[in-house]
Order: sequence, then structure tokens, then C-alpha cells
Amino acid sequence: MANLNTSAQDRTFDAIVIGSGISGGWAAKEFTEKGLKTLVLERGRDVKHLKDYPTTNKYPWEFQHRGQIPEAIRQEAPVVSRCYAFKEDAMHFFVKDKEHPYEQDKPFDWIRGYQVGGKSLLWARQTQRWSNYDFEGPARDGFAVDWPIRYADIAPWYSYVEKFVGISGNKDGIDILPDGEFLPPMELTAVEQYFKGFVADNYKDRHVIYGRCAHLSEPQPIHTQQGRVQCQKRNLCQRGCPFGGYFSSNSSTLPWAEKTGNLTLRPHSVVHSIIYDDKKGKATGVRVVDAQSKEMIEYYARIIFVNAAAINSNLILLNSTSSRFPNGLGNDSGVLGKYFAFHNYRATIYADYDGFPDVTTEGRRPTSAYIPRFRNVKKQETDFLRGYAAGFDTGRRSWRSNDGFGTSLKDQLFNEETGNWYVGSHMMGETIPKESSQLTLDQSKKDEWGMPVLHINIGYDDNDEKMIKDFHEQMEEMYTKAGFKNIRTGDSKQAPGLDIHEMGGARMGHDPKTSVLNKWNQLHAVNNVFVTDGACMTSTSTQNPSLTYMALTARAVDYAVGQMKKGEI
Amino acid sequence: MLVNRRTALKQALVVSAGLALLPACLRKTAPASITLKNIAVDSEGESMLALLADTLIPTTSTPGAKDVKAHLFALTMVDDCFKKEDQQQWTAGMKAFSELSEKKTGKSFEKSTPEARAALLGELEKAKAEDGGAAYFYHATKRLIIQGYTTSEYFLTKVQVYELVPARFHGSIPVKPASRRTA
Repeated sequence: MANLNTSAQDRTFDAIVIGSGISGGWAAKEFTEKGLKTLVLERGRDVKHLKDYPTTNKYPWEFQHRGQIPEAIRQEAPVVSRCYAFKEDAMHFFVKDKEHPYEQDKPFDWIRGYQVGGKSLLWARQTQRWSNYDFEGPARDGFAVDWPIRYADIAPWYSYVEKFVGISGNKDGIDILPDGEFLPPMELTAVEQYFKGFVADNYKDRHVIYGRCAHLSEPQPIHTQQGRVQCQKRNLCQRGCPFGGYFSSNSSTLPWAEKTGNLTLRPHSVVHSIIYDDKKGKATGVRVVDAQSKEMIEYYARIIFVNAAAINSNLILLNSTSSRFPNGLGNDSGVLGKYFAFHNYRATIYADYDGFPDVTTEGRRPTSAYIPRFRNVKKQETDFLRGYAAGFDTGRRSWRSNDGFGTSLKDQLFNEETGNWYVGSHMMGETIPKESSQLTLDQSKKDEWGMPVLHINIGYDDNDEKMIKDFHEQMEEMYTKAGFKNIRTGDSKQAPGLDIHEMGGARMGHDPKTSVLNKWNQLHAVNNVFVTDGACMTSTSTQNPSLTYMALTARAVDYAVGQMKKGEI
Repeated sequence: MLVNRRTALKQALVVSAGLALLPACLRKTAPASITLKNIAVDSEGESMLALLADTLIPTTSTPGAKDVKAHLFALTMVDDCFKKEDQQQWTAGMKAFSELSEKKTGKSFEKSTPEARAALLGELEKAKAEDGGAAYFYHATKRLIIQGYTTSEYFLTKVQVYELVPARFHGSIPVKPASRRTA
């Protein structure tokens, strides 16, 4: 590698961002726009917008197995094979199990996307804001630690990122789920409209709304400047979008950062650790293992942002040991890697509806309706803590009979019948971060890049089980009253991790004794290192978290650059 | 002498390899037209599948399952996407299917009359996949042939048009009165 011959000066930047996913992309955009020479390190390969979406324009018949994953791959990679989006059209964007092994005490499905853009290529694109009911949760209910921020701290940053990302949404005026900067919503279906009205009429504090999503329903100049155009409602997002219709680092923040001339992107860079200088009392850079050559190279910067995705950010911090921090960077409190949590996605409830026989839907829609949390919002009502939000999706069923053979079968296949409406919902439950839910390093085993193997210990608890029961009961009651028929509840029993909403381990808090990061996502103990991905989360609430990571990242960069200009960093 | 013994051993190996190949040579079977990694289906098996596909979804004024190569799709799916035990059950079921045809009509599936083939399929329609043997083969193959047919380029461009770029979503539009399509 040419890197061995480059001088330390060539390997010195103003800022280093570890990770190019949804939060790392934002850090890159913000730093480069503010004039900082920024190095973005990505452990996977490069994926260029448009150029590297090999399946994006394929028709169903062009997939040899019509989307299904061949058995040999399933056998070899059982974890990733359980992910809903791991299909023939997008499997090249997922990490196969053996490519990065880890240890589990209890089943934990760690879903990863190691490439430029990370999982921002693959995300479900739901973008709901947090409210004070979420930020005040731990303090009110006595778990975790108090969030060091409130809604007012992050609200302007939500607005800031929403405008750039492009969020399709409806202003619902609900305090539990604050409104944002919205592009027009797409349509709800006839049954969703009906259920929305039914719930509003029959439940004081329950709402059915349009699920806000990162899709350009009506692009603004800021979006066309990014080279993105209107969402074409293909619902093939996981392949990478040739229109840039949904937000990803690849379509948006990274090319934007590149245009400033201040971005250096280095794929195939596995970050080994952050270099801490005892004398300076600061981090001075990072050690990178080149994923291909396996050589170790050091890069230096004044500011380091850790955006490797929740679990890998913990891994890097835990592996960054020095005489000052023998247990991991900034880990004076000993809480690093602990209080790890996720979202409980186990419960579902489906039904049929025989209303609205004369209408149907047409085209496709990349979002659904959404039921914001209604349990334990303003006061404690149940024997479990916190609550759940729910996705809510409906459509008109169509079917063909496969009975018989010959011309009668062929005739049936040619003439689809219209069936009843289906309604379906899945829970998104808050889980309680616990000290015992922990990420540690197994120093006895090293992976092929010389990193200790990550050990995950996390599982469901009684609170989660009670919440599943309550979701089923409450939703069944609402469905029944609304006249939905043939109600079927389900519990997938899926392992934690499959929600792909892992959070915590390097939580934010007021007190350095009980938290890793302060209210600016800055390590309490190392003021030039910031963590702004899922690792920073003090609690999980129920919202899909990516929007919050983006807002926290933009806010933290603004603070870090301000501190740098004042000479504090 | 040593050299001679080596040569003799080599020759013996070549001969036994030839013997191993012999039965296949005698039957004069050709491999299937697609490369199979896990299951053994030869060209004869492939033609039987093609005929089964055509019996299930026949060519009429419009293409049938055989025309869109749905039988090859079925073969690919069994070979790549079935679990090992299901592959074994399927190949055993394929044999059972052939034998059942012989037993019922005294002829192979291919040499039977269309009426005899219809009678055989009519009987298997009444059985369930769980009954195993020929019934498992029939129902598993039928499912794949229907899948292959209804996701074929022909079907998704001429019968039920798949839109790669719909560019619209309407949440509530009147159901169009169904006009029967001629299959």
C-alpha cells in the first residue's frame, strides 16, 4: 500500500469520521461544509450512488430464484437470512455471518451492512421525532439515567436535517409525536382513513397517522441540488434508488460532502482503535487495519466522530485502551458497553375487513400508517414500564385459485379475484436498558483484522413479555370494535437484533460516573471524541431511531466546530 | 517390476473408473440442459417436467408453462432453494410419479395419452403433498411451475403488467369491473 510511504502530515486531517452510514454521512456533510478537511473511514467497499446498484432496474423474472435466498447461503449465514430485507435483490449489501463472527450468550441477530453508506441503503426510512415524553421517560420511570437533553435541545436540529433529507409527512398536531418539516404525505388507504376516524372517535389519546418517511414526495431545490428527484413509488428501496427518491448517505450526504473538496473517503478501513495521548489528554487519531492488505495505518485529526453503528462503535471504544483508559476510551465509569437495548418487534396482529368492497388501491407506497405510543404516555397505567408504537398497513387482497390443472387452471391464473381488505400491524416496543445487557470483548479470540471478537449478552425480560400481551389485547380490542374480522395475533419470538434498532452502550447522561457521553455526545473524559450513532442512546423509546441520530450528529458537529474555534478542542 | 506394478495399478484404476461410468453410458442419458449442483435429473427427467408443465398450464392461443420454461425454473428452485431432505423427497417423488404412471397406464408419463395423463393428475389433485411420494412431487412441482409462470416475463408484461416505476399510489379508487381474460 502506498500509505506506508505517506508522511504523517499526509495522514492528518481536521476531523475523522468513523463510519459512512446514516450518522457518519451527516458528520461528513457538516464537517466538510464548515470547511474542515475530513477523513471518512468505512470498513467495507465503496458503493457509489447509481453506479453500484447492480439490481436496481431488474424485473422480477431477472432474478434466478425470484428473490429467494438459495439454501446454501441460508445454511452458511442463518443470522442474516432471518432479516426481512435479505433477499436476492439486496443480499450484496448485507454482511454474511462468517464475514464477521461474534459470540452470543442468548440469541442476538446482528444485522450489518459493511459498505459505503452502510445500512442507510437498506433502512426502512421511517422518520418519527421524539418528544419530551420520550426524553423524560427514564427520569420519570426510574430506569437508566436521565437524558441530558430535552426536546427543545434537539427540535431545531430535527428541522435542520429534515429539510435536507426530505421527509414526507402530515402535520398531525400530536404532542407525543411532534410535527416536523414535511413534504406532502402520500395517501392513506380507504381502510386506514376509516380506522383513523374510528380511533379518533373512540379513544381519547390514541391516533392513527400517516407514517412519516424519508421520501421525496415533492422535491425542493435543496433536494434537486443533491441530484435527487421525486420518489417514484417503486418500493425497491433496498436495491439503492436510481432516483434518489429516498435518503441514503450514498445519494445525499456523501456526494454533498465530496462537492466541498474537503472529503477524503477511505473504504476497506477497519478501525482498530482510537489513539489517546496521555500527555495531551486528548485523542490524536485512529489506528486503521486495511481490510485487504491487513496492514495497520495511523490517521490523525483534532476531532474524532465515532459513527460505526451502535455495536461497532462500542467495540472500537472498548478496544481503545491506554494507560489512562485501561478499560476502553472514556470508560472511567465502567458503564461502556452496558445498558445496551433494542426495540421489541415480536408481536403482530392481522385481520380482514369486509368494508369498502367497491374501492381498492393502485400503485405502490413506500410507507404505511403509524400508531404513535398510547400506553403510559402521560402517566403510568399498566404493570409494565413504557409502551409501544405500531405500524399499521392495509390493502386489498387479490388471489387466484391454484386448484386443478389444464385450461381451467390457466384461466384462473389469468383472472385474479379481488378479495377482502387485509389489515396488519406490528409492534415497536421500548425496551429497558439494563446493566446486565452488555457488550464485551473476548480477548482470547481475534478476528481476521486482529480485533478481539465481540461478545453480546442481551435478551428479553418480563417487561417485554407483558408489553407483547398488552399490544395483542389493546390492538385486538381496537380491531374488534372497528369491525375487523378473522383477527390473528402472532409472536415471532425473533431474537433481539433483528429489529436492527440496537442502541446504547455509550449512553449520554449528566453524570460522568454513570454515563459515557455528555449532552453534546462528547466523551465526558476525552473532549475531542464524539459518538453520535445508536451507541449514544440513553433509552430507546419507540420511534425508528435514525432521524434522531442524524439530528444529534448535526448538533454535535456544530458544537465541536464551535469548541474548536474557541480553542477548547 | 515395481514400475510394471505401478502401471498395472494405474490400468486397473482406469478400468474401474470406466466400469463405474458404464451403466450411465449404456442408458445413453444426456444431462439436463441446465447445470444442477445438488439433484440428479437427466434430460429424460427434464422432458417429463416439461410435459408436466404443459399439462398443468398448456399452450393455447397464449404461451403455456413449458413455453416460458417454468419447468426449468422449478428445477433450479429445487436444486438451489430446497433443503437437502426436501430435495431427496422430491427426486424420490419424481421416480414415484413415473412409476405411478406406468402402473396406471402401463406407459411412461410421456408415452401416455393426454386423457391418461389428465386422469393421473386428477388423482394427484385429490391427494395432498403431505401424503408424500408422487403426491409430494406433484404438488411441490405444481407450486413452482405456477410461480415460474406467473413471474415470467410473458406473464408480467402481457397478462398482469408489472410496473418497475409506478410513480403513483392511490389509496382509494373504484374497483374496476372485472373483464374475463382469455387464457
